[in-house]
Amino acid sequence: MMTRADGVVVALALALLPYLYLTYWGSSTQGEEVRIMVSGKERMAVSLRQDRRLAVDGELGPSIIDIHDGKARFTASPCRGKQCIHTGWLGRGGESAACLPNRVSMVVVGREQRFDSVVF
Amino acid sequence: MHKFGGHIVIMLVLLLSACAKREEPLYQQQLLTFGTIVEISIWGAEKGLAQQASSQIGEDLQQMHNDWHAWHDSPLVRMNQALSVGASATVPASILPLVQKSIALSRASEGMFNPAIGRLIKLWGFEQDDLPSGPPPDPAAIAALTKQHPGMDDLILDGGRLRSTNPAVQLDFGAIAKGHGVDLAITRLRELGIQNAIINAGGNLRAIGKHGDRPWRIGIRNPRGEGVLASIETRGDESILTSGDYERFYEYQGKRYHHIIDPRSGYPVTGVISVTVIADDAATADAASTALFVAGPQRWREIAKKLGVTQVMLIDGQGRMVVTPAMAKRVRFEVDPSPKVTVAPL
Repeated sequence: MMTRADGVVVALALALLPYLYLTYWGSSTQGEEVRIMVSGKERMAVSLRQDRRLAVDGELGPSIIDIHDGKARFTASPCRGKQCIHTGWLGRGGESAACLPNRVSMVVVGREQRFDSVVF
Repeated sequence: MHKFGGHIVIMLVLLLSACAKREEPLYQQQLLTFGTIVEISIWGAEKGLAQQASSQIGEDLQQMHNDWHAWHDSPLVRMNQALSVGASATVPASILPLVQKSIALSRASEGMFNPAIGRLIKLWGFEQDDLPSGPPPDPAAIAALTKQHPGMDDLILDGGRLRSTNPAVQLDFGAIAKGHGVDLAITRLRELGIQNAIINAGGNLRAIGKHGDRPWRIGIRNPRGEGVLASIETRGDESILTSGDYERFYEYQGKRYHHIIDPRSGYPVTGVISVTVIADDAATADAASTALFVAGPQRWREIAKKLGVTQVMLIDGQGRMVVTPAMAKRVRFEVDPSPKVTVAPL
């Protein structure tokens, strides 16, 4: 027969379920924040949950990074090749992009990295 | 009451374990060196050692970049000057393994991987870190270089001295240097006692060991869309590497000119978007991915066999994917719906 104590335990366990679900079965590969580095040193870590536009000063000038809908990308850059912009949107943990001439790079970090590294 | 207390203890333990932030023994560092972005991931090493290893690798790679680049003043540029006048040159110790590997891989690939076309690469402006902006070179200038057929077979390596029987030969190790550099960086990590790591130098990747109790998971960038196309879990020690037309290119008057030059035509290869190769070491994977790209949809299987490479994925100019049976077992597509893939035996 179920005692009051069992009831408390069951209630607590049920209360814990949403947390456990989100932690272990949720969209674990979705990035949570983007870390932005200049010359390999971390300049800022920004949540992907809030849309915004950032200007990050690199060696040549500001690299513009847009955050929208849980993803981040380079949208403008003072470099010549624009390879950073070609990389496009990054949203999953482990995805990264860099502007070498401007020495600005970014990597998406999630709760669990879907990829430990990405080849391109 | 006793029973109640027991339950509370179990609940508290559960709550504590749920709240505790697990400290993962993963060290990750990004370096801007070697003319690219280098990502180092180290699992299970003490943080001080991982930091030391990472900064050592940064220094090593910068030194390699200085020694091996094919412009400004470098040991390679000085060697090329000697080759162009028919003189023999002492090969610096840091360049000798690159020359030896390049000769062997060029021969095995029937010249599809050809580091002797330095002049052609320079004519296109792809030898430097900065991308050219066009216009493309004069067709007559391209033809003048290709008809001299510079190849690695023109080189005579005798002890530590190198000379060329063809003055058109100029060495550019762009299609193998980063792979070889990654191999040396992995050797350095092992010397320092690190057994679980990834080095990824601008897409030239080699992984050793594991990420704790699971394999390392490597993503392969989608060559035309965004994000990741597919992933591969590594096994022990191996290199995964892609050559693609999207890595280094410029557009001029609406046309795309990329950095993988066909030594036969003198122009960027057409008909292929990317080639991904898994091989034991990164130098081989680097050279092989370029060779198979140049070989194109018609000849890549034959050249792969000659190179002893069995795990290959090629995406042709129409976006069609072909994989070898060995690669089919390894690759997992990360896009929905999963693309249509043809499995082609070698």
